[in-house]
Formats: sequence, structure tokens, C-alpha cells
Amino acid sequence: MKLTKTITLSFKILTAHRLRTSLCISSMAVGVAAVIVMVSMGRGAQKRIMDMIHNMGTNLIVVNAGHVTLVGGREKQSAIVTTLRTGDADAIMDHCASVEEVAPETSRKMNVRWESENLMTNIIGVTPAAFRIRNIEIEMGRNFDSVENDTAGRAAIVGSVIVEKLFNGEDPVGHQIRIGLAPFEVVGVMKARGVDANGVDRDDRILIPLNTAIRRLMRITYVQKIHIQVASSRQLQRAEAEIRQLLRERHRLRDKPDDFTIQNQATLIQTERESARTLTLLVGSVAALSLLVGGIGILAVMLTACRERRKEIGLRRAVGARRRDIRTQFLLESLIIAGLGGLFGAALGVFSTFLASALGGWTVIESWDAIGVGLMLSTVVGLVFGIFPASKASALEPIEALRAE
Amino acid sequence: MIKTVNIEKTYVKGSVSTHVLRGITLSIDQGEYVAIMGTSGTGKTTLMNILGCLDKPTSGKLELDGVDVYKLNDDALSALRNKKFGFVFQQFFLLERTTALDNVLLPFIYADRYPADAIELAKKSLASVGLEYRIEYLASELSGGQQQRVAIARALINDPDVILADEPTGNLDSRSTDEILEIFSRLHKEGRTMVVVTHDQAVARYAQRILELKDGQVRESSVANPQK
Repeated sequence: MKLTKTITLSFKILTAHRLRTSLCISSMAVGVAAVIVMVSMGRGAQKRIMDMIHNMGTNLIVVNAGHVTLVGGREKQSAIVTTLRTGDADAIMDHCASVEEVAPETSRKMNVRWESENLMTNIIGVTPAAFRIRNIEIEMGRNFDSVENDTAGRAAIVGSVIVEKLFNGEDPVGHQIRIGLAPFEVVGVMKARGVDANGVDRDDRILIPLNTAIRRLMRITYVQKIHIQVASSRQLQRAEAEIRQLLRERHRLRDKPDDFTIQNQATLIQTERESARTLTLLVGSVAALSLLVGGIGILAVMLTACRERRKEIGLRRAVGARRRDIRTQFLLESLIIAGLGGLFGAALGVFSTFLASALGGWTVIESWDAIGVGLMLSTVVGLVFGIFPASKASALEPIEALRAE
Repeated sequence: MIKTVNIEKTYVKGSVSTHVLRGITLSIDQGEYVAIMGTSGTGKTTLMNILGCLDKPTSGKLELDGVDVYKLNDDALSALRNKKFGFVFQQFFLLERTTALDNVLLPFIYADRYPADAIELAKKSLASVGLEYRIEYLASELSGGQQQRVAIARALINDPDVILADEPTGNLDSRSTDEILEIFSRLHKEGRTMVVVTHDQAVARYAQRILELKDGQVRESSVANPQK
């Protein structure tokens, strides 16, 4: 059989039934669009997790002072607990073999002044190790070093939000600011990092040396967190156990509960992955359902066609069409509907993905393979739901078909 | 060229069986013009469908050029219909929202080879039935007589040995009927075997030989017309 001729013929027949064909194509298109949105959303969630890992640092364990509970998926630290010290951080570094680096930190909301401007922001005391562990990059100026930390130097590194709000976008490096009452020199600006998984703007903060924060600014003896980097992800669990035991000994807890909370990055990411999977599953089932509806549409249209076009089938058989020619033709028609549905669906899907990211604030990633998956699925649906009507049509005896009313 | 031996056809509906054909034995030679006549319900159309391999008898044998047709598989029967026969039906059976040209081209789609000059051949075939000015018309835009002529052009496109026509003028006025019958006479003169099923004496008169169907049996009619 001449395939191109048959394809041309199928097109002519489909255009002859314009309304029915276009309804069928649109139901198919909705299904494919849903698939594309689903894949894009899935990828977006994936990217969010990758970003989270990147901004957190890799192979990380976080020790928080006191209890950290998750409220609505966000961390909430209860009360002020003063038992976690920089000495704990040093002990972890010295005694746990799998630990590569530790970065204790403490933070407080304080008033910051520059000339006549002032604002409240998070002042975070960190050691130089924090920059490496947590992938904090410097956009302008410089980082502070361990000497500056040890001597409690008055150096400050500001986030991009501070540059905007306090310095009105001016280059702040070299300017004198006051944090509380103490004077500091701005030595650098952090590269923008956006909002973290807890909804905290990581650019609305000022980093200063930890010792400066503890001794000069806050006059405290404790830290709030210790970030710990482990050599490899396989050692996360063991390191966590070692750290727990060490801290319990140092804090002389005996049979009392922990006065700290250890979060292991693997668990955190696992939680995030699970919620991403739930989302993907949800959108996925909607997509599958829409594709199914599209498929049933094709089934209905082709079965109706099979009944209405019995005379045509009979005539084709009379002029020499074999059963498989009839089957091919009907299957081609299903495939054309599915294919066109796929193409329109791809366009609709790309558009809805764009809408979802623009209006809904979803992280979505457009990708060619999402479109590919959509088109492939539509073809499969066209085939699967086209086979039954096609074989039904081809099973008709020529004379029965010709006699049909 | 066409030979049947003791063809019987019985339709069974529920507990009632109707014996339409009760042992038809006939032969039609190459180049003959044969009319099959009979009142309605005598099985004329059933017989024609069996001769054209569109339907199978309950029992009996059909030979085409010495080949036992019922030993062929379904694909071979399709090929036979494609090459050997040209069908003309009472209801024309054209693809409605399709041009005259595309209708005529239809059998080529199912032929072994789609000729390079298919369109030229189809135009020639349409010209031979006087429709060279209606090539791009949709079937539904043509009159009954014109539609039947498109059907004839389609039947001729694969250069078949036999034209099988089932009440070809049944839906036509007398002028169109004359036109169709003129074309049939010409095709016969060109050497084609013509088998026309009709209840109409006027149509049968064009044939050389008339086979009369009655009570499921066939007999040569007295009104044969050998000089034609």
C-alpha cells in the first residue's frame, strides 16, 4: 500500500469531520499539556533540592542548641539554650574522625546604621570555615580570615538586600557602619543567594567574625548552631551518632534528654524529596487521567467512525483493500489525531508551565524532553486506543459493510 | 473465464433459513455481455457479489480463469478484486466529500504499484466517460448520472477484465440510463467482459445473453440478443 497516499487520504477524511476531529484533538492536547506541566514541575522540584544542597553545603550535619521543631515545614527554635559552646565545636573537630570542618555560628537581630539610614537585620557571627562549608561566595571586596576572627576584628560582610536598603545600591566596601553601638568596616558583599527552605532571605543579613559577635557585640558565651561537614555522605549517619555521644558527655546529660538537636542533611533532603515526589505523583495522576480521557475520546470517535463509515470500508474492500490496509488507515487516523493533539498540547503545556511559574511562583523548568515525553505518550495513547477500532473495522466482511445502512 | 458449479446460498436468521440460491451452475466467457435478470428478491445481487468475490456462497465452487477462488486467502481475494474486477453499484458508493479525481484514484492505492502517471490515467479514465470538466468537483456536487460515470471511471482505472454492475441505472433518469448503457456497449466492444444485474428489460436488451434467475435457479432466457 502507498503510505503517503493513505496518509493524505486520512487527512482528507479527518478534515471532512472537522468538529469531531477538533474536539478529539483538544481533549488529547489537554492530556499532553498536563504531562508537560507535570514533567516541568517535577524538574523544578528537583532543581529546588539541588539548590538546597548547594546552598547548604554538601555532606552536612547541623547541631542546633535546644529543640528545633518543624512547624508547617519550617524550622522553629524554642527558647534560648546556652549550653552549646565554641568548645563543643572544637571537640567535635578533634574527636570525630569523619568530620572535616566545623563552623559554629550565632545570630541576633540588631539595629544597623550607616550615615542617616538605619535598619534591623540579622547579624550572624561565623568563622571563616562557614564560607567553605556553606558555599557562601563573595561578590565584591574580601572575606575575613581566621586572624580577624581570633582577634575579634571589626569586619562586616553584607548581603545584597543590605546594599539595596542601607546603602541605596552604592558600593558599601570600605564604609563604616554601626551595629548596635559598635563601629564596623564593611569589607565585602556576599553573592545573592535568595530565600532558603525555611523562607528566610539569605541576602538580608550581615556576617561578622564569630568571636567579635560573642565577645564584643552580644557578650554571650554560647553559640546557636554548629555546621559540620563530613568527608562523605556515607559517613553522615555514623558521624551523627559520634557527635551525639560526644555532646552528651560534654554536657553531662547522663539520663537527661538531649539539649541540642542534630539534623542530618541526608534526612532533610529526604524529607524535601518526599514532598517533591508527592507533588509529582499528584500532578502525574491528573496528567495520566487527562491522557486517558483523551484516549477514550479517540476510542469513541474511531468506533463511531467505524460504524458510520461501514459503506466506505466496504467500498475500499471492493476495490482491493486488504484487511490490513483498512487497519492501517484507521490506525493512522488515530495517530494523526493523537499526534496533532500532542503538538497542540505541547504548545499549551509550554504556555501553562510559563503561567505556573509566572503567577504561581512555582519553580518549573521547561525542557525539550518534557515536550518529547508528552509527544511520545500521545502517540502511545493514539496507538493503544486506535488498535481496537482499527481491528474492528478491518474485521468487517466486504459485503456486510456494503450492505450497511 | 467465470465458471460456477452448484453454488448455493442460504441465509439463516434465527430458526428461519432462506435458500436464495439453489445450485447455480453457469459460465461466462471472456468478452461476453451478460445480463442477469429476475424480480426482486430472487438473489441477483447475491449472485453478483459471489461472482465478484465480495461474498462467499454456503457451498459450491467458483473458478476464475481456471483458478479455484475459494482456495485463495483473504489478501489474494482483495488483489483479485483490485485487478480483475471493476464494480459499479446501484448506489454509486463514492467517497462523498472527495473529488471525482480522488475517487477514481482509489483503486490505485490498493494496487501493487502506484503508477507514476496515476493522475494522468485517472483524468483519461474520467474523460472516457465524458467527465473531463468535472475532475475537481466533489462527488456530492455531481448529479446522479455523473456520479455513476465517476464510479465507472473508477471501475476502469485498473484496466479490469470484468465489469460487474449491480442495477447500475436503478437510481437514474432515462437520459442518464442511456448514457451509462452507451458506455457499457462501448466497453464491451473494446473487449471487456460485462456482467450486468438488472430487473429492467430495457437494460438487459443491450446484453448478448440473458440469464434468468427464478426460485434460486438460473436458466438461459429466450430473449437473448446474440447479434449485439
